[in-house]
Amino acid sequence: MSGVTFKQFKFDAHKAIADPVLQGAVDGATRTFRTARAAALADVPDVDELRDHFKAIRSATLSRLADHLETFERQAAAAGAHVHWAQDGAAANRIVVEIARQHGAQMVVKSKSMATEETHLNKALIEAGITPVETDLGEWIIQLAGEPPSHIVGPALHKTRQQVAELFSREVGRPLDPDDIPALTAEARRVLREKFLTADIGISGANLAVAETGSIVLVTNEGNGRLVTSAPPAHIAVVGIEKICPTWDDAAVWLSLLGRSATGQPLSIYTNTITGPARAADLDGPREMHIILMDNGRSGLIGTGYEEVLQCIRCGACLNACPVYQEVGGHSYGNAYSGPIGAVLIPLLFGLESNEALPHASSLCGACLEVCPARIDLPRMLLDLRADEVDQHILSREEHLIESGIAWLLGQRRLFNFLADMGRIFQKPLVDQDRLLAVPPEFNPAGERRLPTLAERSFHDLWNNLREEDDPAAPVYGWLHLAAVVLALLFILRLLKGGKTS
Amino acid sequence: MTARDDILNKLRSRGRVPETPPPVWQSRRRFESLAARFAESLPKVKGEVIRVESPDGALETLDTLFNDLGAQRIVANGDLPTLDWAARWPDREWHLVGQSDGDLRAFCAAADVGLSGAEAALAETGSIVVAAGPTKSRLATLLPPVHIALVPESILMPDIFTWTAARRNETPANIAIISGPSKTGDIEQVLAVGVHGPRRFIVILYGE
Repeated sequence: MSGVTFKQFKFDAHKAIADPVLQGAVDGATRTFRTARAAALADVPDVDELRDHFKAIRSATLSRLADHLETFERQAAAAGAHVHWAQDGAAANRIVVEIARQHGAQMVVKSKSMATEETHLNKALIEAGITPVETDLGEWIIQLAGEPPSHIVGPALHKTRQQVAELFSREVGRPLDPDDIPALTAEARRVLREKFLTADIGISGANLAVAETGSIVLVTNEGNGRLVTSAPPAHIAVVGIEKICPTWDDAAVWLSLLGRSATGQPLSIYTNTITGPARAADLDGPREMHIILMDNGRSGLIGTGYEEVLQCIRCGACLNACPVYQEVGGHSYGNAYSGPIGAVLIPLLFGLESNEALPHASSLCGACLEVCPARIDLPRMLLDLRADEVDQHILSREEHLIESGIAWLLGQRRLFNFLADMGRIFQKPLVDQDRLLAVPPEFNPAGERRLPTLAERSFHDLWNNLREEDDPAAPVYGWLHLAAVVLALLFILRLLKGGKTS
Repeated sequence: MTARDDILNKLRSRGRVPETPPPVWQSRRRFESLAARFAESLPKVKGEVIRVESPDGALETLDTLFNDLGAQRIVANGDLPTLDWAARWPDREWHLVGQSDGDLRAFCAAADVGLSGAEAALAETGSIVVAAGPTKSRLATLLPPVHIALVPESILMPDIFTWTAARRNETPANIAIISGPSKTGDIEQVLAVGVHGPRRFIVILYGE
């Protein structure tokens, strides 16, 4: 994976912003999700208290994660499931491929899973000569298009009906009407139904994994989660270790927030709980079940300032609320995860240096924290990651030089005043009719934003005048003045820095 | 060292101070009538509820539904009231899960209706809970285009919190909480029903 550098992010973001079809699709979809979420949460008694309760559950669970994982393993094994452990994504993929080979599998059906998107399992399967078929309608659309998901919940929300009809037409070998969405859906049902019934293995993720019974829970609206785990003879679930939920009582809290936060549903249509393979006397269901507990960078976050990110339940509410996501779209994040949670999670799981731009892909407006069912403080972590970039010297040499230069200059009162006075004189030919600076684009550090001009009289000047008029505590004013100037300059500097990424 | 030990050791070596989990969240729903709330909730997500007074009324409703649907092939799970189903509807082809011979999976794939009972019903969300078992097929409630559930009012409870609180010790291999017909919004957020599971989900809610 190449990662998301400033240059890459800027390129992808520009492309997304210039695409009116994409902008319309993302605006429409995120608005629908936002409205539905707000209405669904408003219907819950004591919903804020419920969210606090959920956060407390998630935090307490992570504080004893190893114990809960052991309980889960013991209970799942008692129910007849095989439990595997994978340190990273590659190991998880190897385990899946090995099981598939043991079954002589040619074709596997998958239900939507962010964990297997994270590990690029489909690629590993194809390389092993096994055909993966995504069965969530949105996932199938992007699989046919050869694209990564652009939203955690609606992976294909960037696709128009015309694009979908084109992809499906190619797949079934005859033209389909883009305006008949029920017919497009029926076509997908027909093609995928046959896959469900002939697949050698079903592969899923897990929305949560209940330790006390060793169960995994899959939430879907289409029913593909039930089919993938019921029709094929074997089932493999790839589960991130943070998805552990100690008890069924806790699972009830989790589920009642998940559907509402994700799609505005009190419960999704199918909440499917699986505890081991089919029992001997059951007439259908898989005869074999494997659960892969995957770390992939998660354990290293426990006990750090970033542990909170592991409380995430992948509902996508923060994407829908984020003004930056709404403009740049999911693909600008260069990963299956996107939006504010992606901006924090991707650098933590896959490296800050290679994903340097992501902590800056935010206006820090706080909307993500506002809507998160687990109240994860994403804005705080975005700032912490930016601070880490400075500490680890990840920022470019130029940026370091410029910032240290400015820091030095701010300490040189006379030189600063002199330069400001010079600026007032030399800016004159550049001031336009709106009293903004008309800097040629290639020299503008703020990108497309226009810069304000230096005021005719500085604050320093005005303050001195005031002081002369009424002067009971002049020495204090001097310090206050300096502090105010420094704050103002820091603010301007932030604006300039922000301009680089938006 | 195995991957398992490595992961568990890493987690334990982080020096994380254990926290006490909060006390169990109790249901805060108080519905005047569970049946009324159920009948109000399910249609909001395109599910259908037919309320009748008695088990006999439920069977009469089935008469009408089978006729309207032109249902020829019906697969029925064993969690339904005891009845000689095939004798009552002799013109139709039945597969009684756990009793009938023949390929269950093939029958489900070609059936017009899947008929089931339920373990529990949740009033808040208009959901039913179905479990797998020797006479309870998963595919029966999943593959046919129509799923009809016969639900006695006696198994209604307020919400998912009351359901988990009432959970018994033994956990079947599969439990599904069904809250409507299969649906998707994956193409331009336009609601389409019956993408993989049943297009119609009809609950006959009967008194006893």
